[in-house]
This record gives sequence, structure tokens and C-alpha cells, in this order.
Amino acid sequence: MSDSPARSQKAQKVLERFAKKLNRQMVGSLLACVHCGMCTDACHYVLANPGDPTFAPAYKADQVRRIFKRHFDWTGRVFPWWVKAKSVYSDDDLEQLKDIIFGKCTNCRRCSINCPMGVDFATFNRMARGLLVSVGVMPEGVAVASKDQWELGNQMGVLREDYLETLDWVSEELRQELGDPNAGIPIDVMNCDVVYAINPREIKYDPRTIADAAKIFHLAGENWTMPSEGWDMTNFGLFSGDDDLGGAVARRLYDKVEELRGKKLVISECGHGYRSTRCEGQNWGGVDVDFEMESSVITMLRYIKEGRIRIDPFKNNKSYTYHDSCNNARSCGLFEEPRELLQIVCNDFREMYPNRAENYCCTGGGGAMSMSEYSAQRLKSAKIKADQLKATGAKVVVTSCHNCVDGLTDLIRYYKLGMEVMQLVNLVANAAIVKEKVTAALP
Amino acid sequence: MSTNNSKMRLMKGDITNTEIEAFVFYARPDLQLGSGFGGAITVRGGASIQEELKQYGEVKVGDAVITSAGKMKAKYIIHAVGPRFQEKDTESKLRTTTLNVLKLADQRGIRTLAMPAMGVGFYGVPLDISAQVTLSMVKEYLRSKTGLEEVVFCVLDNREYNSFYAQLAKLGQK
Repeated sequence: MSDSPARSQKAQKVLERFAKKLNRQMVGSLLACVHCGMCTDACHYVLANPGDPTFAPAYKADQVRRIFKRHFDWTGRVFPWWVKAKSVYSDDDLEQLKDIIFGKCTNCRRCSINCPMGVDFATFNRMARGLLVSVGVMPEGVAVASKDQWELGNQMGVLREDYLETLDWVSEELRQELGDPNAGIPIDVMNCDVVYAINPREIKYDPRTIADAAKIFHLAGENWTMPSEGWDMTNFGLFSGDDDLGGAVARRLYDKVEELRGKKLVISECGHGYRSTRCEGQNWGGVDVDFEMESSVITMLRYIKEGRIRIDPFKNNKSYTYHDSCNNARSCGLFEEPRELLQIVCNDFREMYPNRAENYCCTGGGGAMSMSEYSAQRLKSAKIKADQLKATGAKVVVTSCHNCVDGLTDLIRYYKLGMEVMQLVNLVANAAIVKEKVTAALP
Repeated sequence: MSTNNSKMRLMKGDITNTEIEAFVFYARPDLQLGSGFGGAITVRGGASIQEELKQYGEVKVGDAVITSAGKMKAKYIIHAVGPRFQEKDTESKLRTTTLNVLKLADQRGIRTLAMPAMGVGFYGVPLDISAQVTLSMVKEYLRSKTGLEEVVFCVLDNREYNSFYAQLAKLGQK
């Protein structure tokens, strides 16, 4: 059976690439849905929009699934009307698909882990994003961040001179704070035990996190360095579905660590950066790496357990709750260590419900913070997270993700919750005991 | 690699921050500088470059236009509008774009020119095609009568460098 309408160049290319992206995992998810509705209750978009079935993960998945059926599954090729198989023909069809796969899902994977059939909608939603990106159909913010990361090596367009200048003044302030001329940020030092990579947001909007990390490394007596280039551990390829970008970005960082002969890559607190760099980057880039990689959460916890830094939890004297980043918790299983660390560095920890792998998205995930055209529906869906935060009664929400910091800050402002957002690195640095220098005259 | 009196060279770095007479910016048809290298051009070169581009309006795929480089190390920027996002006839359009860049450089009496991995990355031109098309076009062009003394391929990372290096080695054997 032939598709009668003429197909646009972009639609044709999407179909050609779709065929190349199908693997067993993808096909399993595309075929297995029985429309039981279990995913519906798992999605914060649905919970915040109960009257709108177009937010249901199964519905959103069907918009991709019907293309699969029309072209790759025998039922849809023979009986398209029976299984609701439908192709894409025009650029408008692709635009409509864009509004669903970018605008109505943060790829948080909460529906994926709640699906009894093992359908990983977030994985094929990401794949579908990649199909559209390959023909230039994407939200403007995704285009801006992707181009920045392709061409300037980081997704926020930070120039090399600005990066180095920021590290320079952070070093200077740290020397003043600690009264130690040896404190500071070593750049491009060879053979270090730790190479520390960050999120460009830290340079552009939140250098205090770099200062805090530098303080912790210094107090722990770590032999560490930061790279002068290839320093961005975030990866917009995870959000845009562009595996080529994912691979290129990951390899730049891996190459730099290898060039510096670093023993371990420590990734600052960032959910998607951690997932991309530690869990996905080697697959996207088609490379193996010979060094260890760990989240700075684990590094900080180890320093405390090894007695390399000492903590006074009374310095953090507010009430704290913990928000799990979807990429850390659901995709990488990193949820016990941050809680353990948080309970060491403060005295008033209040759990959030649901939590760990079942926690709700900050609603700014999957690159949603860069897609301003969907801000209204993002903030509406954030009601679920807002209610969850409010119920904790905590004054401060702590998270291990820069993206979540922005997502949470935005919804806290929108729903007037009056809460503060912090990261573990801020609390550890604040609670770290700095030894007073004792100077005595020799007899 | 040398061809007649001209050289082709490969280096890794940020093309917008290179000591060179002119460099190529892979531009959009509306000539908006946008993000990526476009952002770097705006920050390092100043707002005058976007202003200069206004005179050209919309440019069709394959064409190239020239502006000053503002406060940057280079003197000129050649804004080349190449094929994007798997559009039809990518390879032949890339050939045309490359040729128009070289001709424009010659018309302006430019002697040293830096080119990126044309269309690679955000615009999705496959790396091997970009390397093969642009390197062979430049080599062929430099065999003709030209004022260009050096064309530098300024690529971003090891992935691009290795691909261009391999292609350059192949060309050297021909």
C-alpha cells in the first residue's frame, strides 16, 4: 500500500533515520504498550491537567508509535486503519509532533519505571526528538544551546577567556577567605588524582558552587585540577536526542582527562551531566575510558568518612528537604548517598514524598527550561511538585542538579512558596571546619 | 600540504579567536549570527558585524558574503550559507559554497583564510563528506591562479581533526 500524499524532504529524512534508530529496546517499547493507563498516574503533566488526555504518556507515545506502525510493523503496513497507523508527510506534521515530544514531556522516566510492560517512553521520545533535530525542527532554545555546545564546547556559550577569568577570581576570593596563599584552582595540571568538570551554569550564573567545591578540595588536601577546555560535563545531546552531539561532547571531556592523565573524573552536581558523562557518553561516542568517574556527591561523602574534612552540622541551621534529580535517581540510582551526606551536614532533614526513584520531576528537566514557548504549561504542571515541596514544611530544598535548581527556583517563585534552593556542595562547604592557623613565636 | 605556492594546514582551536586574515563563518540564510560561533563573533567582534550584514538581506544557499571582523584578531569574516539539516543535494551545495568562499577571498585579496569543518555539527553535514568535499575543493582551487597563500582548516576537537587528517593524508598521496 502506498502513501498517496507527496512527502516533504524533511518528513522523508525523518522516516529514513527512524529506520536506522530501531533496535530491540526501541522496538520492544514501541510494540509492548497495552494502554493499561498505569503511566497516566505517573506523569506530572497528567496529574496537573486531569481533563486533558493528550498529556497521557500512552497518548504521547502513540504519536510516535503510529509512524512506526505505518512503516515498520506489518499490521500498520497492511491494515493502517485498523491499528491507527499514520505517517508524516508535511513540515506541519513535524511541527505538531515537536509540540508533543518537546513540549509535553520532560523525559523524566517516571512513566517508564511505572510501566508493567517495560515500555520506556522517555527513551523513544528522546529518539523522536533526535529525528526532528536532524532535520532542523526543534524549539529555538534547543537550537541555541545545541549550537553553543557544538561550536564553543559548552551549552551556554561561555568563551574560554570568561571561563578562565572566572576561575581566576574565584581562586583569589578563596585565598582571601581561607587566608592561605596556596588555596585556589589549579588549571591543566598533569597526573592529578582528580579532574573536576562543571556545568557552564556555574560560570555564568552560580560561581559560588565552584568556590565551594574548590574550598572542599583544598580542605581535603586533594591533588586536583580543572581543565582549561573540554570542561563542560553537561550534554545537550541527552535532551535534544542528538547522539552525534552526545558523543562529540562526551569525547571532548574524556579526551581532556586522558590528555591530563587524570586518575578520576569528578562530575559536579548535575543530574543530566552525570548521566550523560558517566552512563551514556561512552555509548554515544563509541569509546571506552580508562579512568574512574564519580559524582561530586560521592567524593564529598568519602572525604567526610575518611576524615579528610570535618563538619559542623550546626552551621546549617535551617530545615532541609531533598529533591531527587530524575537523571540521578531514576536513571543512575544515585539517591542514598545524597541523603546520607545531607543528614551529616544538617540537623533538620525532612523527607519528601514520594522520593528516590519515585520522586517527581522538578518540571524543568529534559531541556524544558530552554523552551520558553512551553513555559506556561510547564509551570502549570509544576503544581504537583509545588504541593510536594510545601508538604515537607522545609525552608530549604536541596538538590544535586543545576537544572533542578533552575526548575525549582522558577516554580517556587510562581507558586510563592518562599523556599530557598541549595546544592549539597553549598552545605558541605558551609559546614566544613576550617582549621585556624596557629602562629606562635619560637622560644 | 603545499600546492603550487599555497599551503593547506590543519589545526585544532576556536576559529573565531585565531590569528588569521579572514575566517569563514557557516551562516544562516537570514545572516543572523545567533549562538555558537555567531555568539563568539558578537561578543568578541562587537555589534557592528551584525549591522554590516543588514546590507545583504537574505542570502541563498551556496552564496557567501564578507564583513569586517570588528574587534577580533582577524580582519574579515566570510559568511558562507551552506546546506543544512539533510537538505537535498547537500554535497553539491557544499561544493558550490566552498568555491564561492574561495572566490570571494580572492576578490578581496585575502592571503590567509581559516575554514571550519563546513556544516559539521549543528547543521548535520556528515564529517567525512565535509572533509572530503572541502579539502578536495580547496586543493583543486589552489592549483589555479590565486592570491591565497594559506588555507587553514581550523577544527574543533580530536574527532574532527582525525577525520580531516585522514582525508588530507589521502589527498597528499594523489
